[in-house]
Amino acid sequence: MIISIAKRELYDNTMSLRFALIALLMLTVMVANAAVSLGTYNEHISHYRRRVAHELKEMRQHAEHFPILVLYGPGELHKMPSALSFCANGGEAFLSTKTDGRPLERWWGDYPARFNGIWRMTYPQSNPNQWNFLPESTQMDWAFLIGIVLSFSAILFTFDAISGERTRGTLRLMLANSVPRHVVLGGKFLGALMSIGLPFLMAVLVNLFLLYSSGSIRLDTSDWVRLGAIVLIGFVYIAIFITLGLLISSRARQSSSSLMVFTLIWVVWVILVPNTAGLLARSLKPAMTSDEFRERREELYQQVTQKYLDRGLLDSYFDPREIPPTKIALLWGEYHLEESLSDERFLEEHLRAQLDQVVIARSLARLSPTAVVQYAIESLAGTGFSRHLQFLSQVKIYVSEFRDFLVEVDKADPKSPHVLFFRPAMSWEPVPFETIPKFQDRYSFGDSLNDATVDVLLLVLVFVMLSAAVFLSFLRVDI
Amino acid sequence: MRRVNFRHPLGVIKSEYAGRIPIAPHVHQVIAPVAGELSKLPVNTMFLTLFRRELLANLMTLRFCVVVVTCLILVIASTIVLLQDYKHRLAVYDTAVKTHREDISDAMTYSKLRLYVDRPPNPLSIFNQGLDKRLGNTVHVHHQFVPTLLDALQHGVDNPFLNLFSGMDLVFIFQVVLSLMALLFAYDAIAGEREAHTLRLMATNAVPRSLILLAKYASAMVCLTLSLIISVLLALFLIMTSGLIDFSGEDLLRILGILLASVIYLSTFYLIGLLISTVSRRTATALVFAMFVWVMIVLVYPSLTVATLDRLIGVDEKLKTAVSEIEQFWDRYDADERASVKRNSVRAYSYPTRIGHGDHFKYSGGYNDQTLLHHRFWWTYSYESIEENKEQFVANLQSHSQLLESSRLRAAEKTWLVRKRALDQTYGRKTQVVQMAIRLSPGAIYDLATEALAGTNLRGIERFAESSRQYRRALIEYLHEKKAFSSRQWFSHDKGRVFWDDLPQFSYLQSDLGSDMIDVVPDLIVLLAMNLAIFVSVFLIFRRQAL
Repeated sequence: MIISIAKRELYDNTMSLRFALIALLMLTVMVANAAVSLGTYNEHISHYRRRVAHELKEMRQHAEHFPILVLYGPGELHKMPSALSFCANGGEAFLSTKTDGRPLERWWGDYPARFNGIWRMTYPQSNPNQWNFLPESTQMDWAFLIGIVLSFSAILFTFDAISGERTRGTLRLMLANSVPRHVVLGGKFLGALMSIGLPFLMAVLVNLFLLYSSGSIRLDTSDWVRLGAIVLIGFVYIAIFITLGLLISSRARQSSSSLMVFTLIWVVWVILVPNTAGLLARSLKPAMTSDEFRERREELYQQVTQKYLDRGLLDSYFDPREIPPTKIALLWGEYHLEESLSDERFLEEHLRAQLDQVVIARSLARLSPTAVVQYAIESLAGTGFSRHLQFLSQVKIYVSEFRDFLVEVDKADPKSPHVLFFRPAMSWEPVPFETIPKFQDRYSFGDSLNDATVDVLLLVLVFVMLSAAVFLSFLRVDI
Repeated sequence: MRRVNFRHPLGVIKSEYAGRIPIAPHVHQVIAPVAGELSKLPVNTMFLTLFRRELLANLMTLRFCVVVVTCLILVIASTIVLLQDYKHRLAVYDTAVKTHREDISDAMTYSKLRLYVDRPPNPLSIFNQGLDKRLGNTVHVHHQFVPTLLDALQHGVDNPFLNLFSGMDLVFIFQVVLSLMALLFAYDAIAGEREAHTLRLMATNAVPRSLILLAKYASAMVCLTLSLIISVLLALFLIMTSGLIDFSGEDLLRILGILLASVIYLSTFYLIGLLISTVSRRTATALVFAMFVWVMIVLVYPSLTVATLDRLIGVDEKLKTAVSEIEQFWDRYDADERASVKRNSVRAYSYPTRIGHGDHFKYSGGYNDQTLLHHRFWWTYSYESIEENKEQFVANLQSHSQLLESSRLRAAEKTWLVRKRALDQTYGRKTQVVQMAIRLSPGAIYDLATEALAGTNLRGIERFAESSRQYRRALIEYLHEKKAFSSRQWFSHDKGRVFWDDLPQFSYLQSDLGSDMIDVVPDLIVLLAMNLAIFVSVFLIFRRQAL
């Protein structure tokens, strides 16, 4: 029974103007997406490979003399671009593609060269908006198609699903036969789901075909699984809006008022709420401005340096190669360690504060299922904020690994006075390049699923709640 | 007698409406029989009667109520949030100005001067944020470099990650919500009456069809304008009582302009809806089609165009040729430097570091950054004191410095000309093309027009870069007047420091309403022309249509 109702709905829908319009809209978005993404992945990945190769080359040179390696550290660490960035752009432009392990360059000015700080991990930021004169726009990716276009299609297919039949009197007719109400509801739901799902799948296939045949993307098995998961999430999301539409439609006397209420809810929920989140988060928990940040960082440096100057850093000349190391050589080592670590900690805290703000904003934005679905798709596509966090945590692990490695190398050299991170009093031997730990950015399917789980569960929860509501409401409503 | 006639139909509406939810089509059914009496009236009275009928039909519906309430809630919520944001930005601006003023008084020698000028946040950005928040708001003014808007930095970027969230402003709410409302008012205006067969009834009496259309249009516009005005007034009230912003007379005129643009924009959407309603046989079709058109115009088309054109229009080639041109100027400067080194017998590369203590500072951007044409953008020297044993070189260095800085100035001016041309031809051109292309959408025209009215468009903010360039000229004049380049105080403050009392003050010459109108008027004219064209086509279709 449920199938025959669904079939009838599907026939009705596919023969209608709205179906044609929606299919057209979806195709337009997906073809535009293909046109924009053509070749971008190849550009990104070749840029990434070039940068990584360059950094390795530099590291190989630095490895020839251990103190140089201690000074320059691991260099820049790069984030691997995702092959699926055409699915969800995730605001990649605002997420830096690298972190930079750079030394503190202070060998001019009032300090002697010995104050040259060793490497520390810094987090360069990316704000291309500063040079962007173009009008504000949304990315035309799958996340847009699913978040905006699919939910909008759900409005068009469901606003009169029940109220329309009630006005025409066919609902009463149908229920006069021994069809249970929940079957009617289920049939309508399935019918709408298929009517939206079909053009969606078609648009997705056209998009993939265009990208694939032009050689812009090469996907492996895990990528296909990710794509499948994204499409599935898309269906859950459509289901949410269909149930919402049925709920409104079952309560409304008139199709027009049903449409109006639904559209308003849609505009607020889908368009306005996600946009307000960033503004709100900024005013809820302001972060340091860039000027303040520079000032505080400089202050910290001066403070640490002054502390060690007071302890007699420049008091007397000494031979840094003396074994066991002199007291003052040890003091230098202590100074460099504290200076680089405190600076790194400061940078990390600053980054953390900024990231926390985004986390708050994202939590606020999650009031809207559109934001939730967007985040889920981003996680699965391996782009966006959660991917960036994962990259940063990999960097953090690598940083401590690299530091440990430096200590190990120094320990292994019998001729070194073993003053950690004071370069004149460390090993002066070359380091075999192969033994140096290298940074390899990874993003496994497991990580993606991990990041996406909460969002997917949230979507399912909303869907279940709405289904319960529409079921109860439809059972009690007067026809 | 006429008065009675006049009131009579309205009385009917009211009594019919008592006690149930009023919904538009029903009203038409009730009113239509009265139209017989209408035809006996003169045209203007007939129009008024029709207008009143439509107005009441609109005002007393659920949808009007919903429009007003939704709009008010959204406007209140976002005004509060936007005010908070403005307050924050203002505080950051004040701090930046203070810091930069201190920077000036800290400089003891001419070469140590670090001059930054800042752009305050525009209070009208609450209405349309435009580029106000996005583009740089602090510029380093230095004789060696002519700044453009692309070189401006941001004094208050507290968190670039928040760019992940797109911004919003009051115009955005109007653009999205009110346009939708306009369509919802319009979709059944004709199709609904046709379905209810009241249209035929009305036309059997000698009521001109144009009057029916006009009355419908006028009454819907009154309703929409009313909700718009209430929203704007409420926003203004919130802004005024916050005590943060005092709007000048010109600002209020600008807000009035934004209001006007909004009304024209709403009218466009109402007419689009009317057109759809006239062409459609059924209300349901009209509704679906209207919604589709709305999504296309407001959400899809502008973003689609920007994304596609941004990708398609390349800029690299033109920038490359500009870079090689700029390189020549600086090669000439290098030659000048070598000659001067020879003539003044100073040691070339040792000159900066050997003479004394000081530090070096960086400009923003990167050395030889090709994307923004930053060539030789990086180093400049600053000094504080002369080492004792270097006294004998000072005279030579002074004349060397004079030559060098003048040569730098020349190179900078020439670089600027090439750079300006190249940037205009690349980024400027791209922006123009994109803006032209998205103007097919009334939503984009509305956005651009209100942006210009708020002074947050490119032209408005470019004034800041222009002001900073003027200020740079004033600074150079000042330095010449003081013979700073060849003075001892360029290097050292041992014979007295520099006091900056007579340093010219920066004034940000914001664009006046008159020059902003250059951007606004064509857009509004296009929007009005769209209105007219749609209205005429609605009229032509409706006149010949079988009802």
